[in-house]
Amino acid sequence: MTAIEDTAAPAPLIRSRHRSRLDRREGRAAFFFLLPGLIGMVLFLIVPIIASVVLSFTNWKLLGTPEFVGISNYVRLFTADPQFWPVVRNTLFFTAEYLVLNIVISLGLAVWISSLKMGQRWFRVIFFLPTFTPGIAVAIVWMLIFSPGGFFDYVMGALSVQVPSMLTDQTLAMQAVIIVSIWAGVGYNTVLFNAALDMVPQSYLEAARIDGATAWDRFWKIRLPLISPTLFFGTVMTAITSLQVFDQIYVMTRGGPGNATSTLGYAIYQRGFQNFQMGYASTIAWVMFAMIMALTAVQFWLQRKWVHYDN
Amino acid sequence: MKFNLLLAAGLLAGSSLISASQAQDQINLTWQMWGDENDTALWQSLADLVTEEYPNITVTPQISGWTDYWTRLPVLASSGQIADLVAMQSMRMPSFYSVLEPLDPYFESDGFDTSVFESSIIAGLGHDGTQYALPYDVGPWMVYYNRDKFAEAGLGDPALDWTFDDFKAAANALTEGENYGYAVQAFDFVAGPVALGAEYFDDGNNFAVTNPGYSEAVGKFVDLVAVDHASPVFASGTGAITGSGRFASGNAAMYIDGPWVLLNTKDSVDFEIGVAPLPRGEGESRFITAGSGWGISATSQNKEAAYKALQVLTGPKAAEILASAGRALPGRLAEQSYWYDVAAQDVHRTHEVLAYMFDHSTPFRLNEYWNEFENLITQYMPLALNGDSTTDAVLTDIQNQLPF
Repeated sequence: MTAIEDTAAPAPLIRSRHRSRLDRREGRAAFFFLLPGLIGMVLFLIVPIIASVVLSFTNWKLLGTPEFVGISNYVRLFTADPQFWPVVRNTLFFTAEYLVLNIVISLGLAVWISSLKMGQRWFRVIFFLPTFTPGIAVAIVWMLIFSPGGFFDYVMGALSVQVPSMLTDQTLAMQAVIIVSIWAGVGYNTVLFNAALDMVPQSYLEAARIDGATAWDRFWKIRLPLISPTLFFGTVMTAITSLQVFDQIYVMTRGGPGNATSTLGYAIYQRGFQNFQMGYASTIAWVMFAMIMALTAVQFWLQRKWVHYDN
Repeated sequence: MKFNLLLAAGLLAGSSLISASQAQDQINLTWQMWGDENDTALWQSLADLVTEEYPNITVTPQISGWTDYWTRLPVLASSGQIADLVAMQSMRMPSFYSVLEPLDPYFESDGFDTSVFESSIIAGLGHDGTQYALPYDVGPWMVYYNRDKFAEAGLGDPALDWTFDDFKAAANALTEGENYGYAVQAFDFVAGPVALGAEYFDDGNNFAVTNPGYSEAVGKFVDLVAVDHASPVFASGTGAITGSGRFASGNAAMYIDGPWVLLNTKDSVDFEIGVAPLPRGEGESRFITAGSGWGISATSQNKEAAYKALQVLTGPKAAEILASAGRALPGRLAEQSYWYDVAAQDVHRTHEVLAYMFDHSTPFRLNEYWNEFENLITQYMPLALNGDSTTDAVLTDIQNQLPF
């Protein structure tokens, strides 16, 4: 017994040392495999982020050497730039309306598609197709439709409906941008929510039906809570992308008429690449980042009240 | 046998030395230019002219779309990747002086005479007595009009010194329902007021767009849209391009643009077109001209070769090629006739109108905030045109945002 113990005792030690060497070797191999990705992330993500912070404290005009100006870009942004607060208001307005419409429409479409007996795949493809289309191309086509004397005005005229030209009216221009954004963006959430709805166990729904639950009860009390994690994901991602809206604004309105559609994303482009105020544009970018972080944090805080996880 | 081997080795070594020396002399220049796919062959043919003249120099065009060009150029310049030869538009020069090599020392070295070019564009591509680029084209903004519609309305061709009242009368006479006499575009609020005698700058070359003269002149063009409804409103996203489309489709009888679009405009309409100077105000006619050219990058490693290439690219042969293709009214005076024979053929009075306009040209006043001003005009003028705001209020809004 003792002999066996004596001879058996070193075996785990050897295995442990062997495993440890193996782990280290595997660790090194993993590190080298991950290195290209790590280098890419540092070069194209971490360094630009740090550079952007530094630039926001300079007056860099893209051409020439940047000079340190302290927090004067931030002071100017909050106290002296006549466009900043209207731009923030426009961005929040766009985000609020687009987010609500996108989630409601995409959820409605997802529920409708999942209720279909036939053709579910086709409708998923149809609604997802605009997501494949480049945003700039979508915006150009819609810009032509909504421009003064364009197809939209022609249709309204034919129907004898008196509507101002969408892109030249201060109120309607943002609505035109939202319509285009919904058309282009609703498909992604539709497919996402539809997939989540399909994952809801039929046994739950059957049991509820047997217990006399109406269709609305089954949706509100069973399906919606069960897809709430997906709904939460869709809401957070849609809020982030809508705060960054740029393509549609750039092509369709250039922030106008006046500053009716000027948003933070467009303001960054305008200040940085049209006016060559790269330091100031970086400042706006960080304000936008702070807004996105704050909104996302609020959403994560609120999720405790309505998102239901299995665990 | 040994001797033959030695001889062969010697020849081989000699030939490699020769080719090494040739390789050293070979200079490859890059040339940043805007354009579309249709222009590629044209720019390449100009690049080939350089190699014909200087066999050791090759020029490689790097072509990008118009909008992309102006986004890429500062980025490439700030990252040290700018090409040896850089295309430049006169209106955007003030933002790019630091990127370009002053050409005057080169002119002094070989006695180059810039008087062979139209004087207004030479001034436009220089600053404070320093020349930064040589031009390939030039032109003033002028009125394109539908001669058939003018004839139907019983209107004669506009006089060279027609007034704004004449212009307004024609626009109103040619307006009927959704068919407009005129299609306003964003830049009309720059070229038009200047032609009426107004200034958008103060004496210190700073923007002063709320001055009464400019405000009144802008108001005249605004009223054509907001009060007379002789022109449709343009949307801020399409401010620079809607007029040509409406004119080509016969929906508008007049619009304002430069000679650089004459060939395309002529080819895209099924009616006879004419050109006229911009209408004048109470005083003499005066017109701003613009154009484009090429300069040498201040960071180029091959400036001497780039200067040689620049002389070829802006030389008589290149100007003849561009003009004969109808691509540009040459900045070179002697070669302008080729453009008149091709692009302006069958377009009523082009030669006479342009000669009159060049005789009455006024300096195009610019500063480093020009780009912002032009964007603000496009973004804000629709508010005055659709009656949501007044001309004065819009100009005050624009002024308040300059020089931000």
